[in-house]
Amino acid sequence: MITTSTLIAVPAVASIIILLVPFARRAAGYLALLVSLAVLGGVIGFIYRFEPIAGYQFADNVAWITPLGIRWHVAMNGVSLAMVAITALIIACVIGFAMWAGRDRSHVSFALILMTEAFLILVFTARDLFAFYVGFEGMLIPLLVLLAIWGGAGRRFATLQVIAYTALGTLLMLLGILYLGLTAPGGPNFDMALAIGRGNDWVFFAFAIAMAIKSPLFPLHGWVMPAYRESSPEIAAVLSGVASKAGGFAFLAILVPLFPAQAAHYAWIFITLGAIGFLWASFIAFRQPDSRGVVAYSSIAQMSLVVLGIFLLSDRGATGATFQMVNHALVSAALFLIAGWLETQAGSGSFKSLGGLARSRPVLATVTMIVGMAALAVPGSSVFASEFLILLGAFEHQWWLGVIVSIGIVLAAMYMLRWVSAILHEREGALVGTFNPPDLRKGALLAILPLVLVLIGLSIAPAQFTDRINDSTRSLIVAATQESGK
Amino acid sequence: MIKAPSVDWLALAPIMTLIIGSFVLLLLAAFIRGRDRGLGMLIGMLTFAVSAGFAISAWNTPALTTLADAVQIDQLTQGVTVLIAGCGILTLLVGFGWNRMREQGAEFVALLLLAGAGMDLIAASNSFVTVFVGLELFSISLYVLCAFDVKSKASLESGFKYLVLGTVGSIVLVYGSAFLYGATGSFDFEAINTALTKAGSGDALVILGTVLVLVGLSFKVGVMPFHMWVPDVYEGAPTNVTGFMSAATKIAAFVALARVLLDALPAMRDTWAPALIVLAVITMLGGTIAALVQTNIKRMLAYASIGAAGFGLIPIIVGGDSGTRALLFYLAAYAPMAIGAFAVVALHERDCKGVATLESIRGWGFGRPVAAASMIIFLLGFAGFPLTVGFIGKFVVLGSAVQHDYVWLAVVAVISSVISLGFLLRIILAMFDRSAKSSAMMAGTQGVASVNLAIVLCLLIVLIGGVLPGLGIDWAADAARSLAVGR
Repeated sequence: MITTSTLIAVPAVASIIILLVPFARRAAGYLALLVSLAVLGGVIGFIYRFEPIAGYQFADNVAWITPLGIRWHVAMNGVSLAMVAITALIIACVIGFAMWAGRDRSHVSFALILMTEAFLILVFTARDLFAFYVGFEGMLIPLLVLLAIWGGAGRRFATLQVIAYTALGTLLMLLGILYLGLTAPGGPNFDMALAIGRGNDWVFFAFAIAMAIKSPLFPLHGWVMPAYRESSPEIAAVLSGVASKAGGFAFLAILVPLFPAQAAHYAWIFITLGAIGFLWASFIAFRQPDSRGVVAYSSIAQMSLVVLGIFLLSDRGATGATFQMVNHALVSAALFLIAGWLETQAGSGSFKSLGGLARSRPVLATVTMIVGMAALAVPGSSVFASEFLILLGAFEHQWWLGVIVSIGIVLAAMYMLRWVSAILHEREGALVGTFNPPDLRKGALLAILPLVLVLIGLSIAPAQFTDRINDSTRSLIVAATQESGK
Repeated sequence: MIKAPSVDWLALAPIMTLIIGSFVLLLLAAFIRGRDRGLGMLIGMLTFAVSAGFAISAWNTPALTTLADAVQIDQLTQGVTVLIAGCGILTLLVGFGWNRMREQGAEFVALLLLAGAGMDLIAASNSFVTVFVGLELFSISLYVLCAFDVKSKASLESGFKYLVLGTVGSIVLVYGSAFLYGATGSFDFEAINTALTKAGSGDALVILGTVLVLVGLSFKVGVMPFHMWVPDVYEGAPTNVTGFMSAATKIAAFVALARVLLDALPAMRDTWAPALIVLAVITMLGGTIAALVQTNIKRMLAYASIGAAGFGLIPIIVGGDSGTRALLFYLAAYAPMAIGAFAVVALHERDCKGVATLESIRGWGFGRPVAAASMIIFLLGFAGFPLTVGFIGKFVVLGSAVQHDYVWLAVVAVISSVISLGFLLRIILAMFDRSAKSSAMMAGTQGVASVNLAIVLCLLIVLIGGVLPGLGIDWAADAARSLAVGR
């Protein structure tokens, strides 16, 4: 039987093998794709076996570093499983896209993508603070190397920014983890269940800052733009699609349940920052001159909305935020891959040189339009469902908060429409004439299509998803909700 | 008539083995001069292994003191002996095939063994006399080892600088222990502790003595502002010797510092703890910031090692069981990373036949991917990234600080490790600079296999220790207990 640990071990071991054996690039790509598909298959098995209850399932709990009270404890609830599922799907698509893009890269790049997957799944499943930290900081290593070696011209500065922000955040969190683990009743113990409610304010903020940086939450988003712009498009898809979810997930599944009192007491800070970030990033997205800029800022905006939804500390807010994380992962990964396609095929992502691509390219037009419509939350889409849940939660919380969120949602429609029309419609751009890119075909299409199909599936039956995770999300926020009711 | 003290030869066997091995090699050197062919190295490795074997076999025997209580043989001593032996073996692997090693290998190995004996001795010290003897034994050997590359001006300069500044450190230490002797009437740690506990800690003579001892040992550990010799000496010395110094010397000097402060001078905690806090903060921040702006790789690593020394002061400040355990584990974790990093530098120097700088390593990673990737992992270990043993080291050190309400000191340590990521990044970007791919030179060199073996061994220790550190932590806890329970 496949256990949770298997999902981590398979990509980890595969990445080491691909790293050590000097495969040819294509062979390494196929092997990595195979492994990522196997992981995806395993995850589908878990979804099939999953029971929609509140508690954690599929637990593995064995001794690891005994003298420090550290155990290898991984398990999944509905939220974790949702995150693991989108990770597996997006990583598989990203590997496919990387093979299609076919740049001059060694087998190492594929190994690093798989290593990222292993660390990410560890973050989403860890039930021990030490293991969580290993995943949370460890995933930086492969992403950093991918950015530093294969990034664009400005990669030095971008890498430096990523390091400075994220390392500082995670290391402060390490101090918090040490405090919780070492002061556990009955000797050092890093199990999360034992840490509930024992933290004080500084520990709470040490955790919160690390997660806010990763999400990213305004005003700690400074590293995001350089990283999204300078990394290759598929890595940007990983960063914005899943790596950012590590932050959002940690807010919901670790920060709020572990620190219910502080989460309730300081919720207003996160709601305020989320609201500011949502509006501010949406405005800026509207003024971006290129496709990646729009996608990157929309990503910041959407994650701000997620954090806002979580800290409403209500059922609707939390379920909406989880659903929104899944939707946004799919949308932003697809958007970044499309942006990457534009850059490789049309030579640029700048709106000035693009335009008119819909003409005689029906597949591209259809895919782009579907993803674009989903991103602007057209009624009937899954993004609409999740944003609507958060919106409802916001209105329940404070009427003016609901108004702010509505404005943000309208802004999202504006910048996404601008994005779609600047690429597909308007006058034919200069570079489009020069390069005359073909339609979206086989390789790239196969990499993007699964994301679109899942989006469509979720749009058709959103309740299938929300019903299954409802109990999990409620159990995560229930303590904090009670605290805030006091 | 003077009564000779009783000597427990079996307990001293690990140290004696090294000394005997060294003498045998010196004798042998007269016969095989210039025709070494690795015999010296083989005997050296064997000697280190036997010394470690003696130490391991005596692991479970109860602690004892011998040589008129001047030497204490406990689990801490045994542990340090094993670590030093490991450092020595790895250093010999790195050095194999090096020009000078081919010419005067036996002498080189003999000196290395003698340095190891001195380090074992200082770690076993129970009296200021032993501290001084051990210190001089390994320092003098290292002065010569630093200058061993006699045809290189840098190496001679390095040896000379180390000689002058190292001697200043030794003199200050002797001066301080003389004051303590004057105040308490003994060199013996236990007697000093008893006298100080009884008399209180207000005596000016004692305070002066404590400060001078602290300064003297700080020279050896290489914390700021007593670090001036470190960058120059590390840069000029033969690279394998640099690796040995940054790993083994640090272990020996830190253990000596812990023995002196925690065994002999716990009563003076109010004097030395604040001083150490200041030193630790200056060293952590100063070392890593200075490392950022270096262009010579060995200098950069030298400053990184200074920063690491500041980090190592934290557990001594914290004290207690968890503090000393953290110190020992951190030292043991640091050694393979340091030796490994310098081994990669040594490999690069052989490839490019020159000094390793940020310029010379540009694109080198594509020619030697395994070594370069190992370098990245060693540097990630310095910065304390998960799945390296450096992370566990940092974890236990910061843990001890957080546990004993030194959170702010832990925050400083965290900031310094964030800064240290800066030079990590500079090295990664340079090694894997795609634009310089073609210019990477690759000269055919001898003995590369042995350097590679050393790198891979270090890498394995770093990774296995990072994933399964339980055994190491248990060992460190046992050894730490012998330090705390000693009195």
